[in-house]
Amino acid sequence: MKNILFRLMAFSSALILLCACQDDDSYEDIPVNEKFDFKIPDRFPEIKQDINSNYPTKWGVALGRKLFYDSRLSKDNTISCSFCHEQQHAFTHHGHDLSHGINNLEGIRNAPSVQNLIFQTDYFYDGASNSMQMLSVVPIHNPVEMDETLPAIVAKLKQDPEYVKMFRAAFENGEVSSSNLLNALAQFMTIMISADSKYDKYVRNESGGNFSSQELKGLELFKMNCASCHATDIFTDNSFRNNGLPPNLNLNDLGRETVTGFIEDRYKFKVPSLRNVELTAPYMHDGRFGSLQSVLNFYSDGVQNTQNLDPLLQQHSKAGIPLTNEEKEALIAFLKTLTDYEYIKNPLFYYKT
Amino acid sequence: MKQNIKAIALFLFTTSFLISCSSDDTAAIDENTFGEAQLYFDNGVNGDKLILGASYTNSNNERLTINRLNYIISNIIFIKSDGTEYVYPKNKSYFIVSEESGINTINLTDIPAGDYKQIKFGLGVDNQRYLEGETAQQEFWDYATSLDMVWTWSTGYRFINFEGTFTSDSNPESINFQVHQGSNSATDNYREIMLNLPTTARVRMGDKPSIHIIADANVILDGINKIKLSDNINQAGTSAAIMGGENLVKIAANTQAMFKVDHVHNGSGTEH
Repeated sequence: MKNILFRLMAFSSALILLCACQDDDSYEDIPVNEKFDFKIPDRFPEIKQDINSNYPTKWGVALGRKLFYDSRLSKDNTISCSFCHEQQHAFTHHGHDLSHGINNLEGIRNAPSVQNLIFQTDYFYDGASNSMQMLSVVPIHNPVEMDETLPAIVAKLKQDPEYVKMFRAAFENGEVSSSNLLNALAQFMTIMISADSKYDKYVRNESGGNFSSQELKGLELFKMNCASCHATDIFTDNSFRNNGLPPNLNLNDLGRETVTGFIEDRYKFKVPSLRNVELTAPYMHDGRFGSLQSVLNFYSDGVQNTQNLDPLLQQHSKAGIPLTNEEKEALIAFLKTLTDYEYIKNPLFYYKT
Repeated sequence: MKQNIKAIALFLFTTSFLISCSSDDTAAIDENTFGEAQLYFDNGVNGDKLILGASYTNSNNERLTINRLNYIISNIIFIKSDGTEYVYPKNKSYFIVSEESGINTINLTDIPAGDYKQIKFGLGVDNQRYLEGETAQQEFWDYATSLDMVWTWSTGYRFINFEGTFTSDSNPESINFQVHQGSNSATDNYREIMLNLPTTARVRMGDKPSIHIIADANVILDGINKIKLSDNINQAGTSAAIMGGENLVKIAANTQAMFKVDHVHNGSGTEH
């Protein structure tokens, strides 16, 4: 009898527990989250950002992607991140030398590409941020870009039940907050890795990676003349340099000095990655060159000896890099092998998937 | 007899007093108990009280009218005489002192009972913390934004926001000055500051020592490094701004001597 009673009690308490569990689940209705599965390319330099403190998750990435495409991140709800960072142009602003933002105001720089960010130490042409988790603060607050504040965005998103649900799914504390907003964007940018160009297939000895003789010649020329700055397989050494562009006095952009306050940083700009460079025209921090041909013409004949001109551009009798027309064509043929069609078509980076 | 009673009474009274004193001193501190502490930041200018809107002349022969003094205090550590440290939990250890907002006190809880002889804290936000981003910073960014302690054109915190107007030999008419101390991606200007306590801060369950710290705003520009605002006037001559370059490194050195502990109030429920 005692035994039966005990069993009964055990059974009923187990039942209560089970009910309580089920109850909890259906009440909260939180979708299961899990680590996002993404691959770090073998040949890439080491990761420069702390991604473990904000490791991408299924829902974090989904939320970051939704935010990236949402114009509510701007003051008048007209400008999203994707406005200046379009996927088909490797997340740059095509057709504008100077990117424009809210109220059609124009900035002083050309929007840089969003790709392979975790392998980089500094962001923006002047290095205004060295943290991928924080960098979104800059365009959000810039009065000529989105002109908004984090608390104001949070207030807007809290009105949207879908966002409330997604934040709850993506983060442990489940809150719609400015920190979770920045973290979701950072998670999305963490997985934005471009490593499937013809060049990658060439170095990995994969099919589709056969270089023509012109492309091979371009690669050799690139290694000799360009790779000390456009280094490693992400094609930047993360440094700031003055490449001798004649300053545009109307913009009076001092470059890196704007951030550091050091006069020796005047006219230095971040060496950009050259991945997808075929798609990211116009070129240079102010978007002054419309074609790769013009870029190479500048390096062969247009480099000006302004203050802090990089020593690597002063190794010949004339400032710059001597290149024949044939060499320029070979270089351009090589640069075009850096185009990653998988990257610009990948539905992971597009929110309406 | 009456005398005897008096003598005995006196004897008993003094011994009981002595015993109670000595028992207090030697009583083992139960380290499994916790108390509170308070840091009170008393802002001043070279020995005078800081009054926003009032003017002060410094040794650079510049006269400053200070309208704003905000700064970030972080990573607080309590140190006992034997050198053992209690590190206040990092995720709760970021604070802002703001003269204009009347925020001068930092209240700390759950500190292990003990006799503390030194405190250490950071002025600003350490780079490690910054790079960990918002996950680690919780909502500190929002709070700092509300007190005008962030840069948004670059991503970083203002460690000190020191603003007002000034006159000098080169500008007899007063113009605005802004000193925004901080780190950028080129220089890390976060510094730790170690202070001795003139009397022990006795943290006990139910006791809350209040550590009275004097902050001297004058040394920001007029410390071991002399920084003239008049050397930092913009081309139009309309204002002076210090927000980057070598000056930030010099200010970081100056602020090593910005704080000193004046006294410590011990006891229960002490508030400054």
